[in-house]
Amino acid sequence: MGGYVLRRLWHGFLVVFGVTAIVFVVTRLFGDPVALMLPLSASAEQRAAFAAEIGLDRPLVVQFAWFARDVLTLDFGMSLWQRRPAMEVVFERLPATLLLIGAALGTAMLLAIPLGIAAALRPGGLVDRLVVTLGLVGLSMPQFWLGLLLILVFAVNLRILPTSGSGTPAHLVLPALTLALTPLARLTIMLRSALIEELAKPYVKTARAKGLSAGRVFGVHALRNVLVGFLTLAGWELIVILAGYTVVVETVFAWPGLGLTALQAIQRGDLFLMQAIVFTIAILIVVINIALDVAFKLVDPRISLE
Amino acid sequence: MSIRSGIVGATTLALVGLAPFAALSQEITVAIGSEPSTLDPHLRDDGGERQVNDNIYETLMARTPEGELVPSLAAAPPTQIDDLTWEFDLREGVRFHDGEPLTAQAVVESVERVIDPANNSEQMAYFGTIAGAEAVDEDTVRILTSGPDPVLPSRMYWLKIASPALMGSEAIGSEPVGTGPYRFVSWSRGNDIVLEANPDYWDGEPDVKRVTYRFVGEAGTRLSGLMAGEFDVVTNLLPEFTGTAPKSASVPGLETSVLILGTDNEATADPRVREALNLAIDREAMAQSLFQGYAEVARGHHVNPRAFGHVADLEPYAYDPERARALVEEADAVGRTVVLVGESGRWLKSREQIEAVAAYWAEIGLSPEIRVQEFSQYLDSLMGDGPRPDAIFVANSNELLDADREASFIYHMDGAAASNSDAEMAAWIDEARVTTDVAAREALYERIFRKGRDLHYTVPLFNLQDIYGLSERIDWQPRIDAKLMIDEMSVE
Amino acid sequence: MSDAAPGRARRGAAILALAAELARDRLALAGLLGLVLVVVAAIFAPLLAPYDPAAQTVLARLRPPAWLAGGDWSHPLGTDHLGRDVLSRVIHGARATMLIGVGVVALAGTFGVAVGLLAGYVGGRVDGVLMRVVDVQISFPGILLILLIVSVLGPSTTTIVVVLAATNWMVFARVTRGAVLSARRSGYVEAAQIAGCRDGRVIVRHILPNLVSPLSTLAILEFTNVVLAEAAISFLGLGVQPPATSWGLDVASGRDYVFVAWWLVTFPGLAIMATVLCANLLASWLRVTADPQEREKRFARALAARRGRARASREGERTP
Repeated sequence: MGGYVLRRLWHGFLVVFGVTAIVFVVTRLFGDPVALMLPLSASAEQRAAFAAEIGLDRPLVVQFAWFARDVLTLDFGMSLWQRRPAMEVVFERLPATLLLIGAALGTAMLLAIPLGIAAALRPGGLVDRLVVTLGLVGLSMPQFWLGLLLILVFAVNLRILPTSGSGTPAHLVLPALTLALTPLARLTIMLRSALIEELAKPYVKTARAKGLSAGRVFGVHALRNVLVGFLTLAGWELIVILAGYTVVVETVFAWPGLGLTALQAIQRGDLFLMQAIVFTIAILIVVINIALDVAFKLVDPRISLE
Repeated sequence: MSIRSGIVGATTLALVGLAPFAALSQEITVAIGSEPSTLDPHLRDDGGERQVNDNIYETLMARTPEGELVPSLAAAPPTQIDDLTWEFDLREGVRFHDGEPLTAQAVVESVERVIDPANNSEQMAYFGTIAGAEAVDEDTVRILTSGPDPVLPSRMYWLKIASPALMGSEAIGSEPVGTGPYRFVSWSRGNDIVLEANPDYWDGEPDVKRVTYRFVGEAGTRLSGLMAGEFDVVTNLLPEFTGTAPKSASVPGLETSVLILGTDNEATADPRVREALNLAIDREAMAQSLFQGYAEVARGHHVNPRAFGHVADLEPYAYDPERARALVEEADAVGRTVVLVGESGRWLKSREQIEAVAAYWAEIGLSPEIRVQEFSQYLDSLMGDGPRPDAIFVANSNELLDADREASFIYHMDGAAASNSDAEMAAWIDEARVTTDVAAREALYERIFRKGRDLHYTVPLFNLQDIYGLSERIDWQPRIDAKLMIDEMSVE
Repeated sequence: MSDAAPGRARRGAAILALAAELARDRLALAGLLGLVLVVVAAIFAPLLAPYDPAAQTVLARLRPPAWLAGGDWSHPLGTDHLGRDVLSRVIHGARATMLIGVGVVALAGTFGVAVGLLAGYVGGRVDGVLMRVVDVQISFPGILLILLIVSVLGPSTTTIVVVLAATNWMVFARVTRGAVLSARRSGYVEAAQIAGCRDGRVIVRHILPNLVSPLSTLAILEFTNVVLAEAAISFLGLGVQPPATSWGLDVASGRDYVFVAWWLVTFPGLAIMATVLCANLLASWLRVTADPQEREKRFARALAARRGRARASREGERTP
């Protein structure tokens, strides 16, 4: 176990190193941070001073070493837009994003279980066909579009939920639902087919033949066997959402999280803040990956660790 | 930081929840386009920061909603001691929200803080001529300029006076303390800023007791919030929505759209062609179809009609396609290519204006070529050192409401966006900039803009109106300087 | 193994059988037809579209669709805030979608398959290093990194294709490597090697054919991901730039007018959804068809349905 965790940490280090290298190459070799970050009216002296401040006049190797050191100490410099340390902005906005993701993924998981079971009970039946069709539609909906439609219906026409912003539980409903749709569709479809497969296995027939109730067979045996797969997919969904899909939903609903902040940083040419956000998310993804693997190992010792 | 603001937010929430219902009717929510990057009044040139701080801080001079310059923290208009020195008497009995009295020292410190090179303030564009300030006594302060500066009183309408106790501390960026009609309550970053009425305000406690600012970047989202009853005031309503929003109010804005013609370019060197370019355009029809009437046709020059130096009796260009066609033929310019440069999205309907103008030009026998450029490339065309385009679109904004901006920027041959080489006009503009005699200065500007009109240096288009969406219960007439002064609003 | 002519004939028969199977599945057929329609629209956009998608008519702004009061058939789906024809823009928008979707899948697929073949066929240290790269890159914060890169390099269609391809090749490499490994395990690859086949021939004749069906399903699924990602990035203003058109971009610019002109966001949004849905329908049918086990189940259930014991229908099996 200890060796395994060490290996995962090494892998995590490689991920962060990879992100560092890519960000460095893109921003320093392909792009010009000075032109990007300073206003057009900046004078030549201001540009030179700024270039020196962020070390652009040094050899590339030195620049990379400095850059890597800053990443290791989580020091991403001052946000030019907010004029305070970039990490301060990140830590301030992160909770809102985590809340949104938690609510969305929680909803998706809670709804996927009954829907998946209902569909798997009678494969090919009306409920099954409905669930599967809606699932495919859900997978095909662009989230920004769904968000706009929800705002129109629930906020403007029915006036039962706020259009944008945060602060109360009511503010959370529409963005969380919008963000939940894709994982809900994928989790439901996955659970359904896993259950159908499980129920076709001989042990289920044996159990039924021995007179165990359908509910017991379902609840105790079949569900437990597909649960690890279900949770693995849910963990993967969490990472996919973290990796960027909150940007769209937060923008549509003006939800004050990291995603909206990332877009605002881009629009204002605030490269330092954007870097801080990308690294924070990369580290979060690494940590979540390790935590999930270890948790699964503890829950089900049969899982092999590589 | 995050924990503390969380607690502040939760407390605010609890307080709002406990507040008696009667107070609710005096509380409004305003949706602004962007969150302030800071609440420091001296460092940034940031629309979001201004929209909030204009209600917390005050300035020596102010403007009436119609744009007239009047004293505010100053007791009277300033007196000029000499070419470089202006003296202001301060209003008596004014106190900052922290209880400190307003003194000459506070003004001096505010001025020095803005112009301190170490602070690298973005507002220096407004204060470049100010050399310093000195306190004469407790209630009298002098502002010193580096050269004669007739615009100085207007500049002082831009410089916010902060509490001296605040200026030394970090808190100035997050917990502003001014003398204005509203005082700061809370800022939950990313979410909202709350202000409450200042009961001790020197000009009487305002009607609206509490205001919440929400930050909504998208015009569509702002409108949905207005329609859903969440917001009472939203900025930048599109003209199409004036019928859809519960209520709307409009006012002539600070922006004027204009095409700058390259007088040294082959295509547009002939004044007859430049006149034809002007006469070809049916500005009235454009104002109706593009702006639903929320735009005023410019009067032969591109100065904001409310600004000092605007020449009210200059003739607007008529719509006369016949004459334009004749002029083009006379100049032997039929079929000539005229390159029209512009951008898309930065200003209200800039692309639409460019396309419409090009269509009119094509009708009088020219062949216009539109180049809609990406913004940084466009800025390079507008202000860079490269060759001037035949015609380039710009929506010029004039916050100080003084014609020097329009003249220096667009007519002065060394100006950033100028496309002419008229040395005589440049000399007039330089003279007007340092003439402190009001009548003489006005006469100079009339001469400048008349010449520009006679030689058709530009194609002035529209003075655009600012439109605000309002909820049913709000009663408010917007200001021509586009400031969102909450104390001028009332709730029915 | 066999001469070319009988091989072609057999392939022809296989395709016919496949087509017959597809024809029996109405939803999958609809998906295929829908995709064909989008491809046709993309290729022949200038011929099909009634107007130039960028042509503005200032006097005919925000016209509603033809069937509403105030609309007429000169603009069947109405006009936008610049007086541009919505139908023409939807048709031309298919170009951006197909160009970027197909381009990214082709680029990422080629690179990913090459890496997967190399890793699976050569094995050993090469395999270890390549798969470590895949593992690491899969853990990158994808969309955020894309946004950062695009904002530095400047948004354009080329940037989008390259960046999306660079962040989507890993899954192709994984699937290819897996298929190569299982092909090797089956023994006939080694037999071919022992018989003296050159590596290239082994790969082309014995390994690639095994890859066709898993990779085509994967390609379609990746296509749906890319279409949605492109739409989202264009919606955020960092993808396709005006005056070019894209469905995501049109939803973004129509959003401000949603109260006076619902058609501006509705039609491009529907176009995205329909395209992705068609691809999903086709992919899930293909997945089942390509998998012998799944096919067996489908056959058994079809048989059961014919016997009337259960009302199982083909739609029942269509999903993962």
